[in-house]
Amino acid sequence: MEQVGLAATSDVSLWSLFMQAGFVVKLVMLGLIGASVWTWAIVVDKMLKFGKVRRQLDAFEQVFWSGQSLEELYRTLSDRTTSGMGAIFVSAMREWKKSFERGARSPIGLQMRIDRAMDVTLSREAETLEARLGSLATIGSAGPFVGLFGTVVGIMTSFQAIAGSKQTSLAVVAPGIAEALLATAIGLLAAIPAVIAYNKFSADAGKLTARMEGFADEFSAILSRQIDEKLQPRQAAQ
Amino acid sequence: MKTSLVTSAVLHALVLTWALVSLGSPEAFEVSDSEALPVEMVPIEELTQTQQGVKEAPKAEKSSPTPTKRPDRVENAENAGDNDVDLKTPPTPDAKPLNTESAAAPEKTEKALPTPDPVKEEIEEQTEEKPASEPATEVAALPTPKEEVKPEPEPEEAPAEEQPAENPEAEALPDKIPTPMAKPKVEAQAQTAKTPDRKNEEAKKETKKAASAKESDFNADEVAALLNKTEPSGGGAKRSTETASLGTKKTTIGNTLSQSEMDALRGQIQNNWSIIPGMADAGDVRIKVTMQLDESGNLVGEPVVEATGGSETARRALASGAARAIRKSVPFKGLPPDKYDSWSDVVVNFDPSSML
Repeated sequence: MEQVGLAATSDVSLWSLFMQAGFVVKLVMLGLIGASVWTWAIVVDKMLKFGKVRRQLDAFEQVFWSGQSLEELYRTLSDRTTSGMGAIFVSAMREWKKSFERGARSPIGLQMRIDRAMDVTLSREAETLEARLGSLATIGSAGPFVGLFGTVVGIMTSFQAIAGSKQTSLAVVAPGIAEALLATAIGLLAAIPAVIAYNKFSADAGKLTARMEGFADEFSAILSRQIDEKLQPRQAAQ
Repeated sequence: MKTSLVTSAVLHALVLTWALVSLGSPEAFEVSDSEALPVEMVPIEELTQTQQGVKEAPKAEKSSPTPTKRPDRVENAENAGDNDVDLKTPPTPDAKPLNTESAAAPEKTEKALPTPDPVKEEIEEQTEEKPASEPATEVAALPTPKEEVKPEPEPEEAPAEEQPAENPEAEALPDKIPTPMAKPKVEAQAQTAKTPDRKNEEAKKETKKAASAKESDFNADEVAALLNKTEPSGGGAKRSTETASLGTKKTTIGNTLSQSEMDALRGQIQNNWSIIPGMADAGDVRIKVTMQLDESGNLVGEPVVEATGGSETARRALASGAARAIRKSVPFKGLPPDKYDSWSDVVVNFDPSSML
């Protein structure tokens, strides 16, 4: 460890800076590079996923409001895996069907069950949208600190080495400090995109969830009207 | 997720490779080699406290030296005087007339420094065993009359007798050397300086000297005529037309106590001064001590302590403390004796708040 930062004072390229660094600093740098890789993986994943979800919502809304029979729509959607509004619609329809097949008594109970089923599906969908955004937030807030930790350790080591070398010319001090600062640089490099991506994706997820909630409310209203219409004649017959 | 992870990893690998390749070692700064600038601290006293004047002249507002006679001006001269060259020494009185007897001395020195000539080199070749430095010592010894004191077995007239006997002996060694034509008087004096055991070498040198004298056609009288006969005089070149007034003949730098000397004096008093801590208003009191000292640093009479500011009790306590401290710390040490004029009657100021 005494040789750290003093062995090759002339070479200050990135690679040599990394290789000169001490064990802890190297570990921090590698960890931060890993965090950066993970951040960008999430960013790419979320970008693809959010685009897909948005397209699905658009397509579903178009189909739903096209005047097509809900029964027919349910039949086409029920035998394939759905997400987003489709999943909410299917869960609501399944509950509706189950209740009517067995002959529901109370319209209020049926309404509540359908709402419950839609809420569960909605929260599940929102959860998948917001998955892994937490790690973005963690990287965004902790990255600079981890980098700073690497820097502090690196500077400590380099100062110890300087004390050992018993000379204080800038040429001796500089490489150790440059190497230590590299850790902070990598930390910021990982943290800045993470923070930006977190803000963007959490806002996007909020918007999509709100859209799905809106649909769920609307569908709930439609179903409620249907329940009233279907149960009214039955009650009138009694 | 897998695909995006791979995408991200590939992206990072690309960026890192690019960074390692293109962000190599940054260019070193172009630093021009600049040498450290030496800074010398010049006390302002040299300019503010210089004075020039005449000790005997009456006192005047401004001290000025004796008026100079020559009208021409010399650039940048600082010391008053009639010289062409600005010297720091005071003007010297007219020198005594030169002793004519001593005029022989220059002749000898001129003789003793022969100009290098082919004949001499020939001789040196022949006498190779002789160290090179020897002629020089011998030459230096020649003009000094002290050498005559050396025990000489022969009587006073011996050199004159020896002379003829010596010359043939010298001639016998080098074959082709021409007969020396030196003045007998010089050689006689040179003979007295030598010791018997070095006779041989001496003889050789004499022939050498004689040969060189002959070759260069040296005339001591001509050299004597060229010698500067102006009377020695010191003094500077600054012309002065004002009437002489009191001051020193020499340009002097003032002899006030320097800051460090004053601090040393103050320190000696402070060391013996025990200020009671926590005294009210002691911080506002200023003490001024006026005292007379003799050359050994002892007090002459009583020190006068003046205290200003602060409360009455604090003033009184501190003033008596200062007086006690002064009496305890005499004799003062470390005062420069050559500046006694400036500390024979000295005023020391104290700020007790800095000593609490």
